[in-house]
Amino acid sequence: MAASVFAFAVRPSIVCAETLAGTPILNTANLRYDLEGASRSVASNTVTLIVAERLDTRLVREGQGAVVVAPSPAAPTIVPFVLTNADNGTESFILETRLSSPAITLRGLAIDADGDGRYDPAVDTALVDATVPPLVPGRSITVFAILAGTAERPAADATLTVTARALTGSGAPGTAYAGLGDGGGDAVVGPTGASASVVVPLISAIAGPALVKSQSVRATDGSQTAVRDSVITYTLEARFTDAVSGARIADPIPAGTAFVPGSLTLDGAPLSDAADDDAGRFDAAGGTAQGPGIAVALGQVAAASVHVVQFKTKIQ
Amino acid sequence: MITRPMIAAVLVATAAVASAAAGPLQVTSSILVEARAAAADGTTRIALVKPSKVTPGDKVIFVVSYRNTGTQPLGNVVLDNPLPRQVAYRSANPGSPAPDVSVDGKTFGSLETLRVRSLDGSTRAASPNDVTSVRWRLASPLAAGSQGQFAFQAVLK
Repeated sequence: MAASVFAFAVRPSIVCAETLAGTPILNTANLRYDLEGASRSVASNTVTLIVAERLDTRLVREGQGAVVVAPSPAAPTIVPFVLTNADNGTESFILETRLSSPAITLRGLAIDADGDGRYDPAVDTALVDATVPPLVPGRSITVFAILAGTAERPAADATLTVTARALTGSGAPGTAYAGLGDGGGDAVVGPTGASASVVVPLISAIAGPALVKSQSVRATDGSQTAVRDSVITYTLEARFTDAVSGARIADPIPAGTAFVPGSLTLDGAPLSDAADDDAGRFDAAGGTAQGPGIAVALGQVAAASVHVVQFKTKIQ
Repeated sequence: MITRPMIAAVLVATAAVASAAAGPLQVTSSILVEARAAAADGTTRIALVKPSKVTPGDKVIFVVSYRNTGTQPLGNVVLDNPLPRQVAYRSANPGSPAPDVSVDGKTFGSLETLRVRSLDGSTRAASPNDVTSVRWRLASPLAAGSQGQFAFQAVLK
């Protein structure tokens, strides 16, 4: 415990090696010369160049996978993000949030004021106008999106999209904002476009089953490119809040791919392709309404359980 | 192909203020940036223009112009330009004589002849990043009414 606290304490703040926006660069030249036997000197004017502010931002999510949103407004769901001022000026950022489902609402945005990584409504300050106060170059802060579910069940593909944009301006790299940089210099959009977005998948905690499907691709050369003979592994994750009976998962084989025989599993255990004693089968003729597909009968399912079905297809 | 027009013509437009010091030698210091434009004949022309939106990593050109406004020749003319610490020296600007450089503000010479001493006492060959000052000497007296300029390139740290 002490060791981890110590490690945090000595973690160096991010050092910005670049010249800060608004820094005046002053130059004066000196000349010496001889006139009528005497040595003299003269200085030039002093010319000043104000370093422009380059606008760049990064936004990353803390954590992975889908976030389970509780249906009760009394128990908000917190989604943390880390926002970084990634360039040489002191800059504010505007956060724009978009929820794809009306069944989930945004209660607000807050800054992790005490830096402990946890949302505490008594300490962590709500953002005004969704605007993050100025951050010095290189500084990162954690921002919390506070979500609340409703009694309505959101669509299975519900998402939260958060976009951060530099307050001074954003857009195509190189876009200039004359005189709007730190110290009265210019501001110019950097390589990130001065904006960054993160999409977070959301699932409801409302009683009832939820099915989340994901896939991974492996080509014959070991890469993840989807080409002929690449194998796609599909993962169907079924979550149950309540005990149910007669649960069954069915999924068609996508057009242009062929089922890999013997690849069907339930919770890691292989299932035969034939329609026999075990829970699963592959039906080449029409396991689903959409044509060939797999089907797994889960039967009696316990409350608060998760079952994972996997199968592979090969790209034709 | 890249052509470089005379810097002097551009300098006039930058509204640089000449030294107010009385005396026969006028010196004007400017900081400029390159602007590339495609010419009708397919070549790229580089003009030096007033800087805007200069950010770390950008190349800037320091130009020092001098002129003998008096009636007598001036001998042993030496121009010193200590570098602002926020820039790293790169080279003489094309068309300008190469300066002698210094890594300590005392010893001047060509970069290849200079060495940098480390904290442990060892030395290594100097690199452009080590340069802290540049210097030019006029080999012959500057005649009355004559003028010239020196320029070097640097990168904003």
